[in-house]
Amino acid sequence: MDDPIHQFEIVKYVTLGHIGGREIAFTNSALFMAIAVAGISLLLIGATSNRSLVPGRLQSLAEMSYEFVADMINSTAGREGMRFFPFVFSIFMFVLFVNVIGLIPYMFTVTTHIIITATLALMVFFTVIIYGFWRNGLHFLKMFVPSGIPIYILPLVTVIEVMSFLSRPLSHSVRLFANMLAGHITLKVFAGFIGLLGAWGALGWFGAVLPLGLTVALTALELLVAVLQAYVFAILTCIYLNDAIHPGH
Amino acid sequence: MSGFARGMRLSAELVGGVVIGFIFGWLIDRLFGTSPWGLIVFLLLGFTAGVLNVMRSAGVIRPGPLSGAGGEGMHGRQDRN
Repeated sequence: MDDPIHQFEIVKYVTLGHIGGREIAFTNSALFMAIAVAGISLLLIGATSNRSLVPGRLQSLAEMSYEFVADMINSTAGREGMRFFPFVFSIFMFVLFVNVIGLIPYMFTVTTHIIITATLALMVFFTVIIYGFWRNGLHFLKMFVPSGIPIYILPLVTVIEVMSFLSRPLSHSVRLFANMLAGHITLKVFAGFIGLLGAWGALGWFGAVLPLGLTVALTALELLVAVLQAYVFAILTCIYLNDAIHPGH
Repeated sequence: MSGFARGMRLSAELVGGVVIGFIFGWLIDRLFGTSPWGLIVFLLLGFTAGVLNVMRSAGVIRPGPLSGAGGEGMHGRQDRN
Protein backbone atom coordinates (compact mmCIF):
# COMPACT_ATOMS: atom_id res chain seq x y z
CA MET A 1 0.00 0.00 0.00
CA ASP A 2 1.26 3.43 -0.89
CA ASP A 3 2.30 5.71 1.94
CA PRO A 4 -0.48 8.28 2.44
CA ILE A 5 2.06 10.94 3.50
CA HIS A 6 4.19 10.50 0.40
CA GLN A 7 2.00 12.88 -1.62
CA PHE A 8 3.12 15.85 0.51
CA GLU A 9 6.81 15.40 -0.20
CA ILE A 10 8.69 18.44 -1.52
CA VAL A 11 10.79 17.60 -4.55
CA LYS A 12 13.58 19.89 -5.73
CA TYR A 13 13.68 20.51 -9.46
CA VAL A 14 16.27 23.21 -10.03
CA THR A 15 18.57 24.88 -7.52
CA LEU A 16 18.44 28.59 -8.25
CA GLY A 17 21.18 29.71 -5.89
CA HIS A 18 22.08 30.29 -2.27
CA ILE A 19 21.06 33.12 0.02
CA GLY A 20 22.83 33.28 3.38
CA GLY A 21 23.88 29.64 3.20
CA ARG A 22 20.33 28.51 2.41
CA GLU A 23 19.52 26.77 -0.77
CA ILE A 24 16.86 28.44 -2.89
CA ALA A 25 15.34 25.80 -5.13
CA PHE A 26 12.47 25.60 -7.56
CA THR A 27 10.34 22.84 -6.05
CA ASN A 28 7.12 21.08 -6.99
CA SER A 29 5.40 23.43 -4.54
CA ALA A 30 6.72 26.45 -6.44
CA LEU A 31 5.73 24.82 -9.72
CA PHE A 32 2.12 24.36 -8.63
CA MET A 33 1.93 27.90 -7.25
CA ALA A 34 3.16 29.10 -10.64
CA ILE A 35 0.54 26.92 -12.36
CA ALA A 36 -2.20 28.41 -10.17
CA VAL A 37 -1.07 31.97 -10.92
CA ALA A 38 -0.84 31.19 -14.63
CA GLY A 39 -4.34 29.65 -14.52
CA ILE A 40 -5.83 32.70 -12.81
CA SER A 41 -4.08 35.05 -15.25
CA LEU A 42 -5.26 33.05 -18.24
CA LEU A 43 -8.84 33.01 -16.95
CA LEU A 44 -8.98 36.73 -16.27
CA ILE A 45 -7.05 37.89 -19.35
CA GLY A 46 -8.94 35.52 -21.60
CA ALA A 47 -12.25 36.59 -20.10
CA THR A 48 -11.66 40.30 -20.52
CA SER A 49 -10.08 40.19 -23.97
CA ASN A 50 -13.20 40.67 -26.06
CA ARG A 51 -15.31 42.53 -23.45
CA SER A 52 -18.73 41.85 -24.91
CA LEU A 53 -21.82 43.40 -23.38
CA VAL A 54 -23.50 40.00 -23.32
CA PRO A 55 -20.83 37.94 -21.57
CA GLY A 56 -19.66 34.63 -22.93
CA ARG A 57 -19.03 31.62 -20.77
CA LEU A 58 -15.53 32.60 -19.68
CA GLN A 59 -16.39 36.25 -19.22
CA SER A 60 -19.39 35.50 -17.01
CA LEU A 61 -17.20 33.22 -14.88
CA ALA A 62 -14.77 36.09 -14.31
CA GLU A 63 -17.63 38.51 -13.65
CA MET A 64 -19.18 36.10 -11.18
CA SER A 65 -15.94 35.76 -9.25
CA TYR A 66 -15.55 39.54 -9.20
CA GLU A 67 -19.08 40.07 -7.89
CA PHE A 68 -18.75 37.27 -5.36
CA VAL A 69 -15.67 38.80 -3.76
CA ALA A 70 -17.02 42.35 -4.03
CA ASP A 71 -20.24 41.32 -2.23
CA MET A 72 -18.23 39.52 0.42
CA ILE A 73 -16.15 42.64 1.15
CA ASN A 74 -19.14 44.97 1.10
CA SER A 75 -21.14 42.87 3.54
CA THR A 76 -18.31 42.37 6.06
CA ALA A 77 -16.03 45.41 5.85
CA GLY A 78 -18.33 48.01 4.36
CA ARG A 79 -17.71 50.29 1.39
CA GLU A 80 -14.30 51.37 2.61
CA GLY A 81 -13.18 47.78 2.54
CA MET A 82 -13.31 47.89 -1.25
CA ARG A 83 -9.86 49.44 -1.31
CA PHE A 84 -8.64 46.03 -0.24
CA PHE A 85 -10.43 44.34 -3.14
CA PRO A 86 -7.24 43.46 -5.09
CA PHE A 87 -5.73 41.95 -1.94
CA VAL A 88 -8.75 39.84 -0.99
CA PHE A 89 -9.44 38.83 -4.59
CA SER A 90 -5.85 37.65 -5.07
CA ILE A 91 -5.95 35.64 -1.85
CA PHE A 92 -9.32 34.08 -2.67
CA MET A 93 -8.42 33.12 -6.24
CA PHE A 94 -4.99 31.84 -5.27
CA VAL A 95 -6.29 29.59 -2.48
CA LEU A 96 -9.21 28.42 -4.62
CA PHE A 97 -7.03 27.49 -7.60
CA VAL A 98 -4.36 25.85 -5.48
CA ASN A 99 -6.97 23.78 -3.58
CA VAL A 100 -8.87 22.67 -6.67
CA ILE A 101 -5.77 21.89 -8.73
CA GLY A 102 -4.56 19.75 -5.82
CA LEU A 103 -7.64 17.53 -6.15
CA ILE A 104 -6.62 16.35 -9.63
CA PRO A 105 -4.80 13.02 -9.29
CA TYR A 106 -0.98 13.22 -9.30
CA MET A 107 -1.12 16.95 -8.58
CA PHE A 108 0.53 18.54 -5.57
CA THR A 109 -1.57 20.53 -3.09
CA VAL A 110 0.38 23.59 -2.02
CA THR A 111 -1.94 24.42 0.90
CA THR A 112 -1.12 21.12 2.67
CA HIS A 113 2.07 22.81 3.86
CA ILE A 114 1.59 25.09 6.84
CA ILE A 115 4.38 27.44 5.72
CA ILE A 116 2.21 28.55 2.79
CA THR A 117 -0.98 29.12 4.80
CA ALA A 118 1.00 30.75 7.63
CA THR A 119 2.62 33.15 5.17
CA LEU A 120 -0.78 34.13 3.80
CA ALA A 121 -2.25 34.53 7.31
CA LEU A 122 0.71 36.60 8.54
CA MET A 123 0.42 38.81 5.47
CA VAL A 124 -3.19 39.53 6.44
CA PHE A 125 -2.22 39.98 10.10
CA PHE A 126 0.48 42.58 9.37
CA THR A 127 -1.73 44.34 6.84
CA VAL A 128 -4.35 44.74 9.58
CA ILE A 129 -1.81 46.09 12.09
CA ILE A 130 -0.04 48.47 9.70
CA TYR A 131 -3.20 49.78 8.06
CA GLY A 132 -4.95 50.00 11.45
CA PHE A 133 -2.21 52.20 12.92
CA TRP A 134 -1.81 54.21 9.70
CA ARG A 135 -5.51 55.00 9.49
CA ASN A 136 -6.49 55.30 13.16
CA GLY A 137 -3.25 56.07 14.94
CA LEU A 138 -3.30 55.07 18.60
CA HIS A 139 -7.09 54.87 18.46
CA PHE A 140 -6.46 51.45 16.91
CA LEU A 141 -5.44 50.17 20.36
CA LYS A 142 -8.93 50.93 21.61
CA MET A 143 -10.13 47.65 20.16
CA PHE A 144 -8.29 45.86 22.96
CA VAL A 145 -10.12 47.85 25.64
CA PRO A 146 -13.82 47.04 25.58
CA SER A 147 -16.11 49.69 26.97
CA GLY A 148 -18.47 49.15 29.90
CA ILE A 149 -16.15 46.85 31.84
CA PRO A 150 -15.50 47.53 35.55
CA ILE A 151 -12.04 49.03 36.06
CA TYR A 152 -10.78 46.26 38.35
CA ILE A 153 -11.05 43.53 35.71
CA LEU A 154 -10.14 45.75 32.76
CA PRO A 155 -6.41 44.80 32.76
CA LEU A 156 -7.30 41.12 32.70
CA VAL A 157 -9.82 41.56 29.90
CA THR A 158 -7.32 43.62 27.89
CA VAL A 159 -4.66 40.91 28.19
CA ILE A 160 -7.18 38.31 27.06
CA GLU A 161 -8.24 40.48 24.11
CA VAL A 162 -4.63 40.97 23.06
CA MET A 163 -4.03 37.23 23.17
CA SER A 164 -7.22 36.64 21.25
CA PHE A 165 -5.93 39.04 18.60
CA LEU A 166 -2.50 37.40 18.47
CA SER A 167 -4.01 33.94 18.09
CA ARG A 168 -5.74 34.96 14.88
CA PRO A 169 -2.99 34.24 12.35
CA LEU A 170 -2.55 30.88 14.05
CA SER A 171 -6.14 29.72 13.73
CA HIS A 172 -6.44 31.44 10.34
CA SER A 173 -3.59 29.39 8.89
CA VAL A 174 -4.14 26.12 10.78
CA ARG A 175 -7.76 25.91 9.63
CA LEU A 176 -6.94 25.87 5.90
CA PHE A 177 -3.86 23.70 6.34
CA ALA A 178 -5.56 21.10 8.58
CA ASN A 179 -8.62 20.80 6.35
CA MET A 180 -6.59 20.20 3.22
CA LEU A 181 -4.11 17.86 4.92
CA ALA A 182 -6.77 15.74 6.63
CA GLY A 183 -8.86 15.53 3.48
CA HIS A 184 -6.00 14.37 1.29
CA ILE A 185 -4.81 11.77 3.81
CA THR A 186 -8.35 10.36 4.24
CA LEU A 187 -8.77 10.13 0.50
CA LYS A 188 -5.48 8.32 0.09
CA VAL A 189 -6.14 5.88 2.95
CA PHE A 190 -9.56 4.88 1.62
CA ALA A 191 -8.22 4.54 -1.91
CA GLY A 192 -5.45 2.33 -0.51
CA PHE A 193 -8.08 -0.04 0.98
CA ILE A 194 -9.38 -0.80 -2.53
CA GLY A 195 -6.03 -2.23 -3.57
CA LEU A 196 -5.61 -4.15 -0.32
CA LEU A 197 -9.05 -5.76 -0.46
CA GLY A 198 -8.79 -6.38 -4.19
CA ALA A 199 -5.73 -8.57 -3.60
CA TRP A 200 -7.85 -11.02 -1.54
CA GLY A 201 -9.56 -12.62 -4.51
CA ALA A 202 -13.27 -12.84 -5.28
CA LEU A 203 -14.53 -12.04 -1.77
CA GLY A 204 -12.21 -9.05 -1.58
CA TRP A 205 -13.62 -7.72 -4.83
CA PHE A 206 -17.03 -7.41 -3.22
CA GLY A 207 -15.49 -5.84 -0.15
CA ALA A 208 -13.58 -3.35 -2.27
CA VAL A 209 -16.81 -1.86 -3.57
CA LEU A 210 -17.34 -0.18 -0.21
CA PRO A 211 -14.10 1.86 -0.05
CA LEU A 212 -14.46 2.61 -3.78
CA GLY A 213 -17.88 4.15 -3.17
CA LEU A 214 -16.49 6.05 -0.21
CA THR A 215 -13.59 7.36 -2.25
CA VAL A 216 -15.97 8.69 -4.89
CA ALA A 217 -18.12 10.33 -2.19
CA LEU A 218 -15.06 11.75 -0.44
CA THR A 219 -13.77 13.26 -3.67
CA ALA A 220 -17.02 15.17 -4.00
CA LEU A 221 -16.76 16.24 -0.35
CA GLU A 222 -13.17 17.33 -0.86
CA LEU A 223 -14.20 19.50 -3.79
CA LEU A 224 -16.73 21.16 -1.48
CA VAL A 225 -14.11 21.58 1.25
CA ALA A 226 -11.58 23.02 -1.22
CA VAL A 227 -13.99 25.72 -2.37
CA LEU A 228 -15.42 26.31 1.10
CA GLN A 229 -12.01 26.75 2.71
CA ALA A 230 -11.00 29.28 0.07
CA TYR A 231 -14.21 31.15 0.89
CA VAL A 232 -13.66 30.90 4.66
CA PHE A 233 -10.08 32.10 4.32
CA ALA A 234 -11.20 35.10 2.26
CA ILE A 235 -14.13 36.03 4.50
CA LEU A 236 -11.96 35.87 7.63
CA THR A 237 -9.52 38.17 5.84
CA CYS A 238 -12.39 40.61 5.29
CA ILE A 239 -13.50 40.37 8.93
CA TYR A 240 -9.98 41.04 10.16
CA LEU A 241 -9.58 43.96 7.75
CA ASN A 242 -12.85 45.34 9.08
CA ASP A 243 -11.18 45.65 12.49
CA ALA A 244 -8.40 47.72 10.95
CA ILE A 245 -10.95 50.03 9.29
CA HIS A 246 -13.35 50.33 12.23
CA PRO A 247 -11.54 49.59 15.50
CA GLY A 248 -13.52 49.86 18.75
CA HIS A 249 -17.18 50.56 18.11
CA MET B 1 -21.23 24.40 6.15
CA SER B 2 -20.60 20.73 6.91
CA GLY B 3 -20.26 19.57 10.50
CA PHE B 4 -16.67 18.52 9.87
CA ALA B 5 -15.67 21.95 8.59
CA ARG B 6 -17.43 23.62 11.49
CA GLY B 7 -15.73 21.40 14.04
CA MET B 8 -12.38 22.02 12.40
CA ARG B 9 -12.94 25.76 12.48
CA LEU B 10 -13.95 25.93 16.14
CA SER B 11 -11.17 23.62 17.30
CA ALA B 12 -8.61 25.73 15.43
CA GLU B 13 -9.86 28.76 17.36
CA LEU B 14 -9.47 27.05 20.74
CA VAL B 15 -6.07 25.53 19.98
CA GLY B 16 -4.86 28.86 18.60
CA GLY B 17 -5.55 30.61 21.90
CA VAL B 18 -3.87 27.93 24.00
CA VAL B 19 -0.78 27.82 21.75
CA ILE B 20 -0.37 31.61 21.85
CA GLY B 21 -0.68 31.44 25.66
CA PHE B 22 1.98 28.76 25.77
CA ILE B 23 4.37 30.75 23.54
CA PHE B 24 3.87 33.89 25.64
CA GLY B 25 4.34 32.13 28.96
CA TRP B 26 7.39 30.26 27.75
CA LEU B 27 9.03 33.42 26.38
CA ILE B 28 8.33 35.34 29.58
CA ASP B 29 9.82 32.52 31.65
CA ARG B 30 12.88 32.48 29.41
CA LEU B 31 13.34 36.26 29.57
CA PHE B 32 12.69 36.84 33.26
CA GLY B 33 13.50 33.46 34.77
CA THR B 34 10.08 33.20 36.43
CA SER B 35 9.60 29.53 35.59
CA PRO B 36 7.02 28.03 35.95
CA TRP B 37 4.73 30.94 36.84
CA GLY B 38 4.65 32.68 33.47
CA LEU B 39 3.66 29.45 31.77
CA ILE B 40 0.93 28.73 34.32
CA VAL B 41 -0.60 32.19 34.16
CA PHE B 42 -0.39 32.62 30.38
CA LEU B 43 -1.64 29.13 29.59
CA LEU B 44 -4.75 29.92 31.62
CA LEU B 45 -5.12 33.31 29.95
CA GLY B 46 -4.57 31.70 26.54
CA PHE B 47 -7.21 29.12 27.29
CA THR B 48 -9.62 31.92 28.19
CA ALA B 49 -8.79 33.73 24.95
CA GLY B 50 -9.37 30.47 23.06
CA VAL B 51 -12.78 29.95 24.66
CA LEU B 52 -13.63 33.57 23.88
CA ASN B 53 -12.65 33.02 20.23
CA VAL B 54 -14.75 29.86 20.01
CA MET B 55 -17.82 31.52 21.54
CA ARG B 56 -17.49 34.50 19.23
CA SER B 57 -17.05 32.46 16.12
CA ALA B 58 -19.93 30.16 17.07
CA GLY B 59 -22.11 33.22 17.59
CA VAL B 60 -22.86 32.35 21.23
CA ILE B 61 -21.86 35.81 22.37
CA ARG B 62 -22.10 39.01 20.41
CA PRO B 63 -19.00 39.74 18.37
CA GLY B 64 -17.19 41.91 20.85
CA PRO B 65 -14.80 44.82 20.56
CA LEU B 66 -12.62 42.49 18.58
CA SER B 67 -15.30 41.58 16.16
CA GLY B 68 -14.32 37.98 16.55
CA ALA B 69 -13.22 35.39 14.08
CA GLY B 70 -16.69 34.22 13.25
CA GLY B 71 -18.76 33.76 10.17
CA GLU B 72 -22.13 33.45 11.83
CA GLY B 73 -21.93 36.43 14.15
CA MET B 74 -21.89 38.83 11.26
CA HIS B 75 -25.50 39.85 11.01
CA GLY B 76 -26.04 43.50 11.52
CA ARG B 77 -22.38 44.18 10.96
CA GLN B 78 -23.09 47.10 8.65
CA ASP B 79 -25.24 49.08 11.03
CA ARG B 80 -22.38 49.29 13.50
CA ASN B 81 -20.17 51.02 10.96
